[in-house]
Parts: sequence; structure tokens; C-alpha cells
Amino acid sequence: MSFRNLTCLGLLAPVLLCAQSLADFEKRVTEFTLKNGMHFLVMERHESPTVAFHAHVNAGAANDPANASSTAHMFEHMIGKGTASLGSKNFALEQKALAAVEVAYDKLEEERRRERRADKAQIERLEAGLKKAIEEADKFVEQNAFTREIEKNGGVGFNASTGLDTTNYFYSLPSNRTELWFALQSEWFRQPVFREFYKERDVVREERRMRVESSAQGKLIEALLTTAFTAHPYRNFIGWASDIENLRAKGAAEFHKTYYVPANVTISIVGDVNPAQIKLWAEKYYGPIPAGPLPPRLYTTEPPQNGEKRVTVDTEAQPFIAIAYHRPEGTHPDDPAIAVLDGILSSGRTGKLNRELVEEKKLALGADTGATFPSGKYPNLFIVFMVPNAGKTVEDLEKAWDELIEKMKKDPIDEAAVKRVKTKLRAGFISGLDSNSGLARQMAESHVALGSWKKVFTELEELEKVTSADVKRVLNTYLTKKNRTVAYSIQVKPEGK
Amino acid sequence: MRTLLTLFAVAAIAFSQPAHKLLKYPKLGEVKIPEIETFTLPNGMKVFLLENHNLPLINGIALVRTGTLLEPADKTGVHIIAAGTMRTGGTKAKTGDQLDEQLEAIAAGVESSIDETLASVSFNCLKENTDEVLGVFHDVLTGPEFRQNKIDLLKMQYRSAIGRRYDDAGEVNNAEFSDTVYGKDTPFGRSIEYETLDRIQREDLIAFHKRYYFPANVRLAIQGDFDKAAMRARLEQIFANWTVQQQPVPEFPKVTHVAKPGIYVGDKKEVNQTSFSIGHLGGLLSDKDYPALEVLSDILGGSFDSRLFRKVRTEMGLAYSVGAGWGAGYLNPGLFRISGSTKAESTVLTFQTIQKEVERIRTEPVTDQELNDAKEKVVNSFVFNFDRPSKTLSRLFRYEYYGYPKDFLFTYQKALAAVTKQDILRVAKQYIQPEKFVYVAITNTDQLKTPLSELKLPITQLELKVKEPKKEVSAADPASLAKGKALLARMQQAMGGADKLAAIKDVVMSNKAELGPMKVNQKVQLLLPDKVRQEQELPFGKVIAAFDGKSGFLVAPGAPGPQPMPAPVLKQVGDELFAMLVTLLQSDKIAGRTVNAVGDNRIEITDGGGKAAKLEMDPATGLPAKLIVEAMGPQGKMEVERQFSDWKDVNGVKFAHKTVILQGGKPAGTTISETITTNTGVSLEEIMKK
Repeated sequence: MSFRNLTCLGLLAPVLLCAQSLADFEKRVTEFTLKNGMHFLVMERHESPTVAFHAHVNAGAANDPANASSTAHMFEHMIGKGTASLGSKNFALEQKALAAVEVAYDKLEEERRRERRADKAQIERLEAGLKKAIEEADKFVEQNAFTREIEKNGGVGFNASTGLDTTNYFYSLPSNRTELWFALQSEWFRQPVFREFYKERDVVREERRMRVESSAQGKLIEALLTTAFTAHPYRNFIGWASDIENLRAKGAAEFHKTYYVPANVTISIVGDVNPAQIKLWAEKYYGPIPAGPLPPRLYTTEPPQNGEKRVTVDTEAQPFIAIAYHRPEGTHPDDPAIAVLDGILSSGRTGKLNRELVEEKKLALGADTGATFPSGKYPNLFIVFMVPNAGKTVEDLEKAWDELIEKMKKDPIDEAAVKRVKTKLRAGFISGLDSNSGLARQMAESHVALGSWKKVFTELEELEKVTSADVKRVLNTYLTKKNRTVAYSIQVKPEGK
Repeated sequence: MRTLLTLFAVAAIAFSQPAHKLLKYPKLGEVKIPEIETFTLPNGMKVFLLENHNLPLINGIALVRTGTLLEPADKTGVHIIAAGTMRTGGTKAKTGDQLDEQLEAIAAGVESSIDETLASVSFNCLKENTDEVLGVFHDVLTGPEFRQNKIDLLKMQYRSAIGRRYDDAGEVNNAEFSDTVYGKDTPFGRSIEYETLDRIQREDLIAFHKRYYFPANVRLAIQGDFDKAAMRARLEQIFANWTVQQQPVPEFPKVTHVAKPGIYVGDKKEVNQTSFSIGHLGGLLSDKDYPALEVLSDILGGSFDSRLFRKVRTEMGLAYSVGAGWGAGYLNPGLFRISGSTKAESTVLTFQTIQKEVERIRTEPVTDQELNDAKEKVVNSFVFNFDRPSKTLSRLFRYEYYGYPKDFLFTYQKALAAVTKQDILRVAKQYIQPEKFVYVAITNTDQLKTPLSELKLPITQLELKVKEPKKEVSAADPASLAKGKALLARMQQAMGGADKLAAIKDVVMSNKAELGPMKVNQKVQLLLPDKVRQEQELPFGKVIAAFDGKSGFLVAPGAPGPQPMPAPVLKQVGDELFAMLVTLLQSDKIAGRTVNAVGDNRIEITDGGGKAAKLEMDPATGLPAKLIVEAMGPQGKMEVERQFSDWKDVNGVKFAHKTVILQGGKPAGTTISETITTNTGVSLEEIMKK
């Protein structure tokens, strides 16, 4: 009993702290769901007259339709294009012009579908017609009016991101302008406008050039994912060039209709706000959005892997190697143990990869692991990414990694390391509570991915229960050759030199 | 039913009008500016404290007045290596690894870093570990031990990083633009190279710390969950004994370079996009026109609604990223830079579009709306400068370090509110100078549909090639140098004596070499110190290589007569000549060479220009047993080892008549010398006979 008291008073202070934080946070959090199903999390923080908004949509690139990868991402880009009331010189006429664009595009597609029997001259005429229709619609555009409105009202950090499982829209405002966020964001959620869609498509195409086609690392990661996943849409890294070049506004609209139903959206608001007022505004601005059925579930499950997979990518850049092992979804009971394993391998300077591969054997310039890649809602990958030192090869690193893992499987797991990792994960969590925007994101994510915003706190308790035996078990279960994909780049001389 | 109807009515109102235009905003709540306590410790160190009890955390940072701008050119990187190893190399009490274990066990951190004009040592921890972590912080700041293993590790990592320098187009674009504008031979634009890295020794790092890390040159800021009085007392106590003094540190150098305007092209065949930067030097934060320039660059390319963003991204769909910024520094001018990326084929179009936008902002006043939006943005977002107490502390701390007034942010905001359209036009004309623009384009030139020459600007090719790695050199100190000299003398003695070696003018050898499956007859004529002719009979014919000390030629079957030696062969011949035993053993008489003991029986000889060889003595005979050099193989750097045996006397000097060659530890060949003669009188004409 005395021992118990001792731990509570001193050694386990961070755990106590989390329990306290949760109690303290609960007092400051207001949670409510509108009739249409949209969920709100509001946390009061009055330290400064600012507020952070985070809108979280429970759909992402994994939900892209077949033949149209990057639809979720493309739709996300429409946030910058505004609404009926912001971004148009004459919305009624613009709507007609935008409809005409789709009609012209349909005609062109109809002819193209005739494939070899298509009439080339007719295609050229239809292409010209489409171009003209787009120019016509562009005449009504008041460019970037939506973002300008946010910026001139003091909005900071305006951005959006599309992940495989989720899409997020976020920024902060001075707190006296809270209602502006409601007005702008709700109108867009209800009725996005597919203004300048086909130009934005070029922008998304440039984004792929930047992130994948002109990046050695991007190419390697894309090859890794498409090899590791045979069936599951996590194989979709950033969408295919040919899909992007043919995306249609009506496809994006369909995506919005299916996935942006209120019950699939979670909003979190953190800062200098009055929850009662927030609730009134939520009812006023978001209440009228009609409810809709929750989107279809994603059934495709990755079949078990029957043997090691390998893939290589030629590049002019110095080589890299990535090895990825299938692991279960984020809500699986093994998740905390995998997080600890990840920490033992690569957290800080004491991580095994740094100690052994970087410092002792001097094989790697850098090495890192990730417990959850590319996303966590569905079974995903535990990944190690290593950069060989000059004069060392990817083969050297693969061998060293294998030796390290096999040795870990045999030897006892270092208890001190397990403890250290848990402490660090807890401390990292506490520092993450500092910013309004970070907290808003965490709360929304936790509500959707784990079922409650409180889980960000209780997860830490799960972490505390992880033993070295658990770490060993997940190591033996998941980090096997049969269960993995090895991807590395091979340095080649530039062509034509 | 009624409720439902009302609801619909509300909905109709909410969406039939532009709701945001009807909004009335209440007055913004009060901005709390936290109170910061400042004082100077008895040893001269300035301290800034800010209590912040939001979370049970404490963090602090010490700024030290130094920077990479103060590095000597021939040791570029020395301050980076020093700042890095200050922490990893440990303290007197603990190795860096022990510190890692100690700090990570309590989720704390102590780090050291440096940039151009400041160095820092920082810490962060949970409240309950404050004393322990402050202790480590003190030890790292005041008494780093710079253990050799971590110096070697960091130097090696930088070597690897140099090798990867040109791999990422975006990074290359950033670095090349900055270095080109500031000047690649200036402290602002220099890069760490293999040679400068090799020259960095532990003594340099110790000297760096001694010179710059003294109390009067350090400012410390701490914020978090503590009591100010208690913290002050604690600091007075732990820094009581740190009283070292030094001369004030020198001024930082000024930017003087004038970059040649025009296009600088770096070719990368594997990209399909151009990463670009366009611009020239920017200015200082203290310039009176800085607020107007900020508004100008914001309108031109600073936001999601800037002219460049609108034109290049929104309207033309040419780029995912495009933007512009007026770079202003505290002490030295920043960079005015327009940057982005576009598919290679639209490079010229994008540049022309940007040129037009630059011209427009220099010739026409901005619109009222643009000016108002830009101002409103700054005024309305001003509160975010104070959304966390730590922001106020770090701002005031920087102002103090760089000698800026405390109220700089407020004066700036006031000046910005007063900026007029005329001001913007004036500063645009005065400060944005298209005729001075440096354009950097990292691209795949095969995919540029329109050639860059269309832009009618001078074009310079950027060489995106890593300078070949020089051999890694072991650390030398007086003791190892003395020992090196002694080992060399013993080997000279065993070979026949220094005088006999010095008397050799030429060597002629007939060898039978086995290189893998190939048997080769070789005749080698060596006119010391640096002229050589080698004739080899290979299965496909005779190959002659001749070298006169500067250039040479090759004769090979099938080739139409003698061909000048290409650069890689010249380099190879130079390396071979350097590694000739007869000359290598006389390194003590050759200017610029260093002979350093790197083991009980091993010396390393370097020529200061990147050549290096290790020579191992057979302790029984005193004769050289092995010679090890590094060469580039297909897999990168590789060790080549020659093992000597079958020593026979030639005119009073011992020569090895058998040499076994290993590459990367694997047998690669054997050379048997059938005859070796010296001082034959061979002439330069004979060597260079075609």
C-alpha cells in the first residue's frame, strides 16, 4: 500500500497529470450534435482573444471513386473557390455558365468514348467548344474572394488537407469574428461552387509533379504503397496523373453529396468563445443543412500477404530504402504496443536505429520508423525508412535492419527503453495541448477515429499498460519477412549523358 | 408543423443573402501582454523570465552572439560541427550518450544549434525535473567536452549530406538562389565542402567555445510554470562560478557581393517540373520603407489572394506553389524572392507572366481595395502576435539580441497603417529592380518547350555535381606527428636509407600482372618524381599510357593514334604516382605533405590537396607491409590495399617484387616484377614517345 501511494505521489506524476487534465478539460468542453447529425466540440480557452476552427470530414482519398483517383483532394481544393455569395460577379448567370461547361464536356466525352471510331475533327470542335464555355464561365469569377475575406478579417493559418481517411479544413480568427467562420464555412459545406474547376485540376496535376514525379522519395513511397497494398485503397498515394487530367466537376459534386453529409462532419472550436453562443450559431448556420444517409462503408480488405514483396525505383538521386510491414488498424488492441515499439526503434537519440545504425555501425545517415502509414483507420503499415551514408548501400542497411530486428526478437526487451518511450509519448502529448489549433485538430480526430474526444487522454492509460512482453509479441507477430514489402531506389546515371 | 415552417423560413434568409456582409463584430477582447522580468546576473549574463502556468512545462534558451558568418573560409562548417557536438560530445561529467539516456528518461531535452548570426543552447522539461535539467543545460553551455567519436560521426554525416546535396530540386533551387545572390565565395553563400570539413579538428571546436561562450556574450530566456523569484535565485546559484571573460566578439561581415543578373540553369533529367526563384537582395527590418515593402510584397505574392497567386495559379493553372516575399533581416539584407514550381514546358510562360506582374506593380498604383485588404489583414491578425505568452518573450528577446527597440512591433504596425498607394509605387520603383534579377531554374532542359533564350537574358549553367569526395583524414596532434615521422624514418632505413632513396632518379620495371582472369605483361618507366610511361600487352592488343607531369596520352588498339588523356584518367595517374612507394617514402621532404601516425605501425600520408594513403610497417623488418588508399568503385568509396613481399635489393635499395592487390577486402590481382632497375638514364622524350 505504501508503495502504491509513493508511485501516485511522485514517480507517476505525468499519469496523474493526464487524469487531472482530463477532468479539467471536461469542465471546459461542450459537446453537442445537431439534428442533422453534425457534431460539435467546443473548448473554452480565454488566454487570448483568438479562436481556432477545425472542420473534419470523415472521408478522404481512400474513398476516391474508381477511375477518378484524387477526387477527394480535388474537391478539397474547391474551398479556395468560394460560395454563391463570395466569389461571383453574378451567381445566377455563373451557375448557368458552369452548367454549360458540363454540357460541353459531356458532349466531348461522348465523342471520345467512340474510341477508334471517334471523329477527330469533331473532337477538336468539341474541345474548342469546351474551352469557350470555360472562358464564358470564368467571366463571372471574382477571384479568391473567399480567401481574401478570411485574410482581411485577420484569419491566419487558412488551409485544408486531404488524407486517405479524412479531409480537414482549418484556420484561426480573432475571436470577435467567430460568426464569420460560421457564415463562410456553412455556406460552402451546403453548396460548394465548382468554379474554375478545370484550372484547379492543372494545379493538382502540378502538385503531383512536385510531390511524386520530381521527387525521388515521392517515387519510392508511391512504389512501396502500390506494392504493399494489392486491393486496399491505401495504395492510392496522391492519385494517378491520367485520372487527375480527366477529373470532372460533376464527379467532385457527387463526392460531396455522398461524403459531406452533416453526420459525417465533426467541427471543433477552441479558444475565446462562449459555448452557448456557439450552439446558437451552429443551429442557425448548420442546422438548415439537410440530413443525409451516412456514406457507404469501405468493404475492400487487403488479403493476407503470402510472401515477401520487393520493388525498386531507378533515380538519379542517392539511394533510399523503405521496408513496410502490414499491421492492424488504429483501434486494434495491439496499437499501443506498436507505438511503443516504434519509439524504442526511433524515438530520440536513444532509439535503437540511431544508436546502432547511425552511430555505431555508421551505415545510415538517418533512419526512422513510423507506426502508422499511410493512415490509421484501416489495417496499414509499420514502416522503416533509411538513408545510407556515402559509400554504404541499401543492401548494407537492409541486412543491418534484419539483424537488429532478429536480435530484438531473441533478446529481452530493454525495460528502461519501454519506460522511456512511454514517458516521452506522454510528455509529447502534454506539449501538444499548448496551441488552440493543435488541440482542435486532436479533439476532432479523436472523436471520429476513436469514438470520443476524451480518448486522446484515455489512450495514454492504454499506453501505460504496455509491457515488454507486448512489445515482443507485436514484433514477432508483424515484423516478419513474409509480411513485408521492401522498396529501394537504385541510383542511375542521367539519361543522355 | 409551425416550428418546421419557421425553420425553413430562417434557412431561406440565411442562404439567400451574403450572410457575411450582414455581420457585425463586437469589440475584440483585451489582449494580455505578459510581464517579463529582466535582470543581469553578477557574472554579466542577461536573463529574461516569463511565468506561464498554463501547462506544467518549462523551457529556456540561451542566445550566444556568434554565427556561421564568423567561420574562417578554409574551415567552413566549423561552427556547425562545434554547435552540434557541444551537446552530443557530452560534458566533463557525462558522455553525450549518457546525457541522452538521462534526459530522454524524463522526456526532457537540451539542444545546441547555430545559424548565420546567432548560436543557442536550449532546454525543455516537465516542471518537476527543472533542477536536474538546468544542471545539464549549465554543463553543456559552460563546459562541453567535444568527445572525438561524436566529432567524427557528425563530420561523416556532413560528408554524406554533401553527397546528397543536389538530389532534391526544391532544395537545390533554394540553395542556389541564395548562394548566387549573396555570392558563393562570401560567408553568406559558401557551402561546406569535403576539404573544409576535413580541416576541422577538435581544437577548433574547443577554441570556438572558449571564444564565444562567456557570460557577457550570453542572454538567457526562460518561460513556463515556475516562480520568478525562485528561478532567479536558482540561476544566481548555478551560474555563480561561471565568470570567464573574453574580448567582445567581432562584428558580423556585411553583404558586399553584387550578383550577375541573368538566368542560372541547373539541369536535372529526372524531374518534369521547374523549381524556380527570381529576385535579388532584400533589405533590413529597420529600413524606414520596410512597412511599405511588406505591403507591396504581400499584394504581389504574399497570400492566397496575391496578384501572382491569382494570375499564375488561379487564372492560368501554371503552378501549385507561387509566391513572393520581401526578405528583411535584422542585421543583413534578406532576399527579395519570387518562387514556385511549374511543369518544365511552361517555364518561359511562367517567367514572362511574372515579369509582367512585376512591371505592373512598378508602373501602376495598387488599387484601394488591395491596399485596404492588405492593411486590414495585418491589423486584424495582429492579435495572433500575442496568442501565446511565449511569443512575446521570444520577440522581445530577439529584439534585444539584435539591438532593436522593444516597441518595434508596435512602431511597425503604426507605420504600416500609414502606408499609401504612392508609397507603394515609390518603393516598388526604388527597390524592385528587374534589371538586377537573378533567375534560378532547376529543371529538365529536354522538356522546356520554349527555350530559355527566348527571355533574352544571359544564361549561366549551374554545375549540379558534388565535388568528388576527398579522402577522410585522421586527426593529428604533435605526438602522432612525431610518431609518424619516426615510423617513416624507420621504413626509409629498412629500405636502404633516406640518402639512397633520394639518389634514385628513375625506375624501370618489367611486370607480369594477373588481374582477375587476365594475364598482362607490363613495362613501366618512371622518371621521378612525376613522369611515367606504362606499356601493357592485353589480350586485345597493346595499350600505352604516358604522362609528363601535367598531361598525357593514351594509345589503344582500334583508336586512331594517340588520344589525349581524359580527366578521369589523369586523376587516376596522379593517384597512382602519389602511391608509388619510392616517392611516398620520401614524403618528409615534399612540401605540403603531412605524415601522421594512425596506429602502432601505421602512418597516414596526405598532400593537403585531398590525396591520402595509409602505409603499414612490418614491425619485424621495418619494411612497408601494406599500402591502403581509397578509390571510387561502382558502389562508391572503396579501399584498395596493396600487400608487399619478395623484397630484393636493387642498387642498395630494397624493392618489393610481389604485390597482391585487394579491393574492398577481396583479392583483385597480383603483380610480379621480373626485373627492376634504377637510374637507367631514361629521358622525358622516351617517356613521351608516340
